Amino acid sequence: MRDKSILMADDDADDRFLVQAALEDNNLSHAVLYFEDGEQLLNYLLPENNNEIPNLILLDLNMPKRDGREVLKIIRTYEKWHNIPVIIFSTSNAPDDIITAYQLGANCYITKPSSYEELKNVILSVHKFWL
Amino acid sequence: MKLSTFNLLNRTLSEQQLSLITRFLLGTSLILIIALSYSYNEINQELINYSEKVNQTQRVISSLNEVSSALYESTYHANTYLFLKDTAYINKTLAAAKTIPALTQKIDSLVIGNESQQKRLEALKVHVGEFSTYTEHLAKSVTLVNPAIVYALYKKKNLEVDSITKLISEMSNVEGQLMQMRMRSRDNYKLQVFRYNWIIMLVAIVFLSSAFVLLDRELKRNKFYRVDLENKIENLNRSNSELEQFAYVASHDLQEPLRKIRSFSDRLISRYQEEVSGEIFQILGKIDGSAQRMQLLINDLLSFSRIVKTGSEARLINLNASLADAKSNLSEMIIENKAVIHCESLPSVEGYGSQMVQLFQNLLSNSIKYHKKDQRPVIRITHRLVNGEIIPGVKPSHQDIQFHQIRISDNGIGFKKEFSEKIFIIFKRLHGRNEFAGTGIGLAICKRVVSNHNGYIFAESTEGEGANFYIYLPSESLLS
Repeated sequence: MRDKSILMADDDADDRFLVQAALEDNNLSHAVLYFEDGEQLLNYLLPENNNEIPNLILLDLNMPKRDGREVLKIIRTYEKWHNIPVIIFSTSNAPDDIITAYQLGANCYITKPSSYEELKNVILSVHKFWL
Repeated sequence: MKLSTFNLLNRTLSEQQLSLITRFLLGTSLILIIALSYSYNEINQELINYSEKVNQTQRVISSLNEVSSALYESTYHANTYLFLKDTAYINKTLAAAKTIPALTQKIDSLVIGNESQQKRLEALKVHVGEFSTYTEHLAKSVTLVNPAIVYALYKKKNLEVDSITKLISEMSNVEGQLMQMRMRSRDNYKLQVFRYNWIIMLVAIVFLSSAFVLLDRELKRNKFYRVDLENKIENLNRSNSELEQFAYVASHDLQEPLRKIRSFSDRLISRYQEEVSGEIFQILGKIDGSAQRMQLLINDLLSFSRIVKTGSEARLINLNASLADAKSNLSEMIIENKAVIHCESLPSVEGYGSQMVQLFQNLLSNSIKYHKKDQRPVIRITHRLVNGEIIPGVKPSHQDIQFHQIRISDNGIGFKKEFSEKIFIIFKRLHGRNEFAGTGIGLAICKRVVSNHNGYIFAESTEGEGANFYIYLPSESLLS
């Protein structure tokens, strides 16, 4: 099994830590790059930086500078980024947020699980389905 | 002092009393004004009558004067003849005398109804007849040479003239007095009637002004109430939307740290399972349990805050379909507890579909949850139409409206009578968490759903004998 590249933008350091822990506890060794806000992630993706196109993006909705909705909108506007799978990974389970995310072109919407065991399961199923 | 008494009086008047008083004042004023115009019409008729009578007297007097002057003319020509012996004057005498009977005839119709005057007129007519006869004889006798005869006739004629003159002056006097009397009583009548009318008019004006003052005050008060109401509605809307925002934000922001507490304690357990002692393990379990419970509470609070705003448009909801959805959502619970649900055909009401499903779902799951250990739960749902006035604590504006009464009764453990209102309070629980799970949000949501539909919900039970829930939903749409 070849390791895949994942980009994750989340302003919450704890969540970034927990995702990394869940990956490790599931014995998954994908290369994950973490960003603290949407702008950092977009900068990474810019063509002049010559970075590799990732296999998956995990995007929080509410972040400083550029939030998840803006980032998603921009990603879906560029031909080159059009096919990157984007999973929204947010605390919110408000119907409005979920509908908006799918309308903007999200491939999946996952509400952050409330226990670590659930998180581990979620990460495993993301790995199986999307990578 | 006067003003304050007036104000006090006004302030203590209820709306109904005020309306009655205003109606009375306006009604009485109207009646007075009609009476006044009728009275003026009568006065006019009466005054015309008086004027006619005065006029009649004047005509009698003037006719009598005419008789007088004809008599004078005739006498004058007769005297001239006696002096000049010119027969032309005899003819003039005769001509003047001949006009008199016609003049007396004219008076005839004018003195009808006045006996003494009629008698005098009759006497007058007799004397006029005599006078005419003598005058004619006198005219015929002028060709005779005997002056003695002429003189005798002349004298007789003059005697008649005296009598006639006397009668005329009597009649004139009587008519004069009559005229004065009539004029006096006309003036009296005028004075009396006008005084009386002034009083009526004054009363009408006072009543009308009072009604005006009362109405004006009511209008001002209404305007004040309207402005006050508008302000209150605005405040209410603002605080409602603030409350919604608050509940939503609080729920989301409170979730974050809780999720972390649970996730980290979870990870602690899974990561250091072998190294951690049993006590630490137990404590971590308690931390997780508390955090889990708080999460449940927050989620319930969030669903409650979502139900507060109705969101979608109201439409016609078939309650049979709502009940079927609720039953299918609870199918596992129903099968597990072998619950039996009997249901009559339910009506359709204007409302919000998902809320109705939730209403039935919460009530049914409650009934199943609180069943007696040794009995399978049996739930009966019945429907009938009732008048709003039978609902306890119904709003005055709902009293005349028909309501659908939906009764959900079960054979469960029931509850003490004094809890029949408390059970609808958010997070209010009648049992320990070890006995029955749940946060105590279900019935609070039911109450909210029903009040979103302008309805009412009541619970009734005796401990150990099952519970009845009564839902009242308006049969006509009251949702805007």
